[in-house]
Amino acid sequence: MNPPPVPKPPVIKPAPPPQAVLRRLFLTLFLRGRSSRGLRKSTAPQSIGTKLTWTLLIYGIFGFGVVAVMNGQPLFTMSLFLHSTTIIFLGMFVASSAGEVLFNKEEADILLHRPVASRTMLWAKVRVLVEVSLWLAGAFNLAALIAGALRADGGWLFPIAHAISTVLEALFCTGGVVVAYQLCLRWFGRERLDGLMTTAQVIFAIAVVVGGQLPRFFMQFHGFAQLNVHTWWVSLLPTAWFAGFDDAVAGSGAESSWLLAGLGVVATAGVLWIAFGKLAEDYEAGLQRLGETVSRPRRQGGGRRWADVLASAPPLRWWLRDSVSRASFLLVTAYLMRDRDVKLRIYPGLAPVMVMPFIFLLQPTGGNGGGFGHDFGVAFSGAYLGLVPMMSLNLLQYSQQWQASDIFRAAPMPGPAALCNGARRAVLCFLTLPMLVVFGLITRLMHHDSTTLLLLLPGIMALPVYSMVPCLLGEAVPLSKPTEEAKSTSRGLKFIGVMMVSLAVSAVAYFAWAWGWFWWLILVEAVAVVVIYAGMRASLKTLQWSPAE
Amino acid sequence: MISVQGLTKRFGTQTAVDALSFEIPAGQIVGFLGPNGAGKSTTLKMLTGMLVPTSGTATVCGFDLQRDPIEVKRHVGFVPESGAVFESLTGLEYLEMVAALYAIPEEAARARIRQFIAFFDLSFETLTDKLLGAYSKGMRRKVVITAALLHNPPVVFFDEPLDGLDANAAVGFKALIQTLAKEGKTIVYSSHILDVVERVCTRVIIIDKGKLLLDGRPDELVAAHNSGSLERLFTQLTGGEELERRAEDFAKTFRP
Repeated sequence: MNPPPVPKPPVIKPAPPPQAVLRRLFLTLFLRGRSSRGLRKSTAPQSIGTKLTWTLLIYGIFGFGVVAVMNGQPLFTMSLFLHSTTIIFLGMFVASSAGEVLFNKEEADILLHRPVASRTMLWAKVRVLVEVSLWLAGAFNLAALIAGALRADGGWLFPIAHAISTVLEALFCTGGVVVAYQLCLRWFGRERLDGLMTTAQVIFAIAVVVGGQLPRFFMQFHGFAQLNVHTWWVSLLPTAWFAGFDDAVAGSGAESSWLLAGLGVVATAGVLWIAFGKLAEDYEAGLQRLGETVSRPRRQGGGRRWADVLASAPPLRWWLRDSVSRASFLLVTAYLMRDRDVKLRIYPGLAPVMVMPFIFLLQPTGGNGGGFGHDFGVAFSGAYLGLVPMMSLNLLQYSQQWQASDIFRAAPMPGPAALCNGARRAVLCFLTLPMLVVFGLITRLMHHDSTTLLLLLPGIMALPVYSMVPCLLGEAVPLSKPTEEAKSTSRGLKFIGVMMVSLAVSAVAYFAWAWGWFWWLILVEAVAVVVIYAGMRASLKTLQWSPAE
Repeated sequence: MISVQGLTKRFGTQTAVDALSFEIPAGQIVGFLGPNGAGKSTTLKMLTGMLVPTSGTATVCGFDLQRDPIEVKRHVGFVPESGAVFESLTGLEYLEMVAALYAIPEEAARARIRQFIAFFDLSFETLTDKLLGAYSKGMRRKVVITAALLHNPPVVFFDEPLDGLDANAAVGFKALIQTLAKEGKTIVYSSHILDVVERVCTRVIIIDKGKLLLDGRPDELVAAHNSGSLERLFTQLTGGEELERRAEDFAKTFRP
């Protein structure tokens, strides 16, 4: 008689490794946002997922446009242009997301006491950043992959080579941000982490925008023909390394292309080795720093803060007569100076946008310091200033402490007008005015002629109107919305809209200047601004609170 | 089970924890008390590997905190005061994520989660459908407590665990930790609700300004200081005298 069959023990599926668990966690958090007001799982992830889809679609269309323009150029030139634009997108994305992803304060209480090595956590976060970067890069480069495959000097190898070089570029970019943070931590210490993170992100955002624009300027000044793999200085551009990879594998296969490709691979490997091999312990130190509560040194004699002193003295005292506006002004000023989350959104967001007027202003002036390019550049810088209050007020709406803004609605105020006015004034004082001073100084230094400064006037005069727009759109109540709502594609469209208006205003200013009608323009603009501003102010006063969700 | 020797933490020039030393054997429920800013949370964060001590040593379950922090973390559960969770995950997603970090297989984790939700009177539908951001404070606290006990740790640190729990849940929780202690688990319980501490804890450690003030059985300490209750003893030790009179004086300032 056969013994009864022994039942097989149930197969227990082992838990996935921590690396995979954390990757899934951080990707979910990225797509859904870190806080949620949605009641159900099915309703919450839509916001960022939908926005991301739209972003990818816009990138795809933009990529198609770039390919259409660059298709006649040699493979290396086209690839260089694609990589230069890709690194701007990737850099901007990584710079704006890295702070929240790498150093999230709330996360410390949830994850730091779990048995996970900080290196594992860092890898998982970087992997998510690279993954999302690749979605963006993939959308932008999709048209190029197809067009490259159809080119005579590209062929079927091009999509493979370009995909690999884009992955390398994303790793290089993300690794670069991690290294920048870690170096800041190592050199300056954990105590100054908050301030350093903002500085590191601003510098990185500017670096990728300037770096991404360099090939375009070389092309403009030296011509497309000069921009080939045989020109020695091309090897100084990181984007040329990745374009060299494409050219080596799928294009000319020239020795110098292989050299550039080698540089790209070595540089990427080097950056990753430094980030995860040499400096990973600095990341752990930074994470632990988030769990520490360091009290600020007490001010001597119990003195008031400088912003308070400034707001209590003329001329700000005259401008902030209303107590609510004054309180809102001080609140926004405090967050602009102290809050890591707000600083990481505002300054890296503004810095790359402000690169453009600098490029216009810093062009060589030639013999007499004038000419279309330069005078137009000054007028453009003035008109472009309007972007500062618009973008800043828009970004200032978001805060990790958004639920604290319930106090605004609980206070006896019919609407947000006074709060918006305070926020508007803080942004004009502490962000727009310094930028204006810098533009003015550069104009004066480059032109050696004070009269050119007058070209900034049309833009300056329009500032009150520009700064009112977010208030009327209901986008200027400070710190009142959750941070995940900040990821918006519509801001990019608004940015393009304002840029178009700036270009139009500066063109009108330039021609009025050149044809001797400048003061007439100022008079007409002054009247228009007064009328429009008065209308906007009246509308703002009647603005009611939008219904709370 | 827990051994702390000269544990110190400085933030710049400020000393949050000053040469703290104590031993806690298995099976004790220790009330860890002190006024605001005394250094309780900092001590707990150091003992759970979240903060690196400036000096001193500590071992948990025989593992050195500085040399083997991952093993320490594997053997402790922690309910932080903040009760922070990832708000955009559902309760189940969150707990399964935590279970996976302790290498608990998914099926085993689910079975354990079901036991906890039955104990805490949560519905499985709530756990699967609702995002944690939409949970009440009490429900969220239940999830955080579950996340701390899911891997059956021999040492558990609770920092204000009753915050947000309703009366029934609080009673159930107190019974739970007493049973856990009887089964040999070491519980460190930090709270400002002193009558609960007095009833639940077999020993209290009181610290102020980072320094150890008292360590012993609550009834013995109260008797030795002739203070009548742990609450009164606490206020005597931490400079909270004349609170009633000061409160009355302050309330008078609200008179129209």
